[in-house]
Amino acid sequence: MSTSTSHSPSLAPDRAAAPVRTAVPRHYGRYIYLAINTAILVFLLAPIAVVVVFALNPTPFIQFPPVGVSLRWFEKFFASRDFMQALGFSLEVAVLTTVSATVLGASAALALARGNLPGTRLIVATMLSPLMLPAILTGLALFQTYVLLDVGRPTWGLVAGHTLVTLPYVVRTTLAVLHNFDTRLEEAAQNLGASPLRTFFEVTLPLIKPGVLAGAIFAFIVSFDQFPVSLFLVSPGNETLPVTLFNYLKFDLDGTIGAASVVSIVLAFVVVIGLDRTVGLRSYVKL
Amino acid sequence: MSSAAPQRPNGLALFILPSVLLFALFFFLPIGLMAVMSVLTGNPVVAPKVAFTTRHYARMFDDPYYLEVIWTTIRIGLVTTLVALAIGYPLAHWMARIKSRTGHALLLMAVLAPMLTGIVVRTFAWMTLLSDKGVINQTLISLGLISQPLKLMYTETGIVVGLVHIYVPFMVLTLTGVIGRIDEQLEQAAENLGASPLRAFIEVTLPLSLPGILAGSLLVFALAISAYVTPILLGGFQIMTLPILIYQQISANFNVGFAAALGIVLLMISLLLVIAYNRALGLVSGQRELQ
Repeated sequence: MSTSTSHSPSLAPDRAAAPVRTAVPRHYGRYIYLAINTAILVFLLAPIAVVVVFALNPTPFIQFPPVGVSLRWFEKFFASRDFMQALGFSLEVAVLTTVSATVLGASAALALARGNLPGTRLIVATMLSPLMLPAILTGLALFQTYVLLDVGRPTWGLVAGHTLVTLPYVVRTTLAVLHNFDTRLEEAAQNLGASPLRTFFEVTLPLIKPGVLAGAIFAFIVSFDQFPVSLFLVSPGNETLPVTLFNYLKFDLDGTIGAASVVSIVLAFVVVIGLDRTVGLRSYVKL
Repeated sequence: MSSAAPQRPNGLALFILPSVLLFALFFFLPIGLMAVMSVLTGNPVVAPKVAFTTRHYARMFDDPYYLEVIWTTIRIGLVTTLVALAIGYPLAHWMARIKSRTGHALLLMAVLAPMLTGIVVRTFAWMTLLSDKGVINQTLISLGLISQPLKLMYTETGIVVGLVHIYVPFMVLTLTGVIGRIDEQLEQAAENLGASPLRAFIEVTLPLSLPGILAGSLLVFALAISAYVTPILLGGFQIMTLPILIYQQISANFNVGFAAALGIVLLMISLLLVIAYNRALGLVSGQRELQ
């Protein structure tokens, strides 16, 4: 493939004698291509590596090259009341959000794919719109609504906001699976005498499970990392980890932030690798 | 509603209702209220006598400061989009064309890893790199290349670098899907006819991937103009963008009406972008994705 001798004569009848002049530049081109892409990968991944180095470096300020390895920032992070409270609250919100987004999103996808609804395209576009509309506006609008209705800043209000911005992931991954499998399987079950309910639980549900699961995992990570919606909806003393990190970052740049970052990076990596192992990533990251 | 006729909505259609309720209560109602608040003189719950007003919008469009803020937001969005495209395209092309499955999985991991590393964490990473005593400046000084630290943070350039890093994965994933659907044999045919790989790329692949370029750019632009964390931390509160202004109106000034008006302007810009994005993707998939 990389040699220019593999010309197919049938494809190029008039210019079968095209000169082989491109053989050398073709190789250089390949190296330039790989070099550019390697540089881009470094740009993508280096910042994450730097955070890890910074978290393990014992000095209380940024020092490069690092002077040693210590776990003191991790100790400080895990001993900090504020951070632990925030971590716990973030996990609580992420779990509640994952459950509600998964149940609502998977049911909606099922209705959209199998319910013969009119205007499906428009409904799907609307349900995916929180992905592209500024999340900070979702936060602002919900904040104003809660103020007007005088409900304070309850946890359910925050979970509702998170559900709104994570639901699109579940809808999309579930729809992808629903569109890929043969509806005749369901028809066959019904022809063999299964009730619609039984068909759903014994045929449809097992088939869409990977899509739902992938959506649920995305929902968890997105909720755990969510910032703009949380910014407006958390109350002092009940903040999510990203908001606590943000407030800390405004004044301080020590290794505790690095340790906190590493904890959330590790969590994301574990989840992504788990996702790849269980359902495979490739089919679910269409944008 | 649950009629059994073939083209009528069936029982499963009812499963849409919980999501419809969620969107009605927590999306359309709040945004509607925001639109109402943007034309009221005050909070109707606290102050009983509120009236219709257009002064929030008038303030925004009369004062050059606010127009400057809107322009800064759009300018940062545009530059971020262009750089993300320049960086994202080669990687997307590689991902779409790589033969080995392991290679593809590794590239996908490399693109997804930053995406799944929260915005605050990634912005922090860029602070450790770009600040006066950051990794880049310390390295350059210790190598003797510079004596004074370069001013990388608290500039628009710093903001753009951070935003590009955060949003380039969206560009890559959009482009990979589009490039992957272009038949590789078209490029090979062009090369067999004597075109260099570069020329085959410029005359065959690039034009065919234009809808993807458009969709990815619109997506990145929409995300970049609504960013809050990165501009505020890497801009060090010195560069004002629309989202920062909106939050400031709520947290510092408690001017809910003006914040709502600013929000509506940002929403309108974003809505236009979303519609254009869906059009662009429709060009690619021929309505395949969304049924």
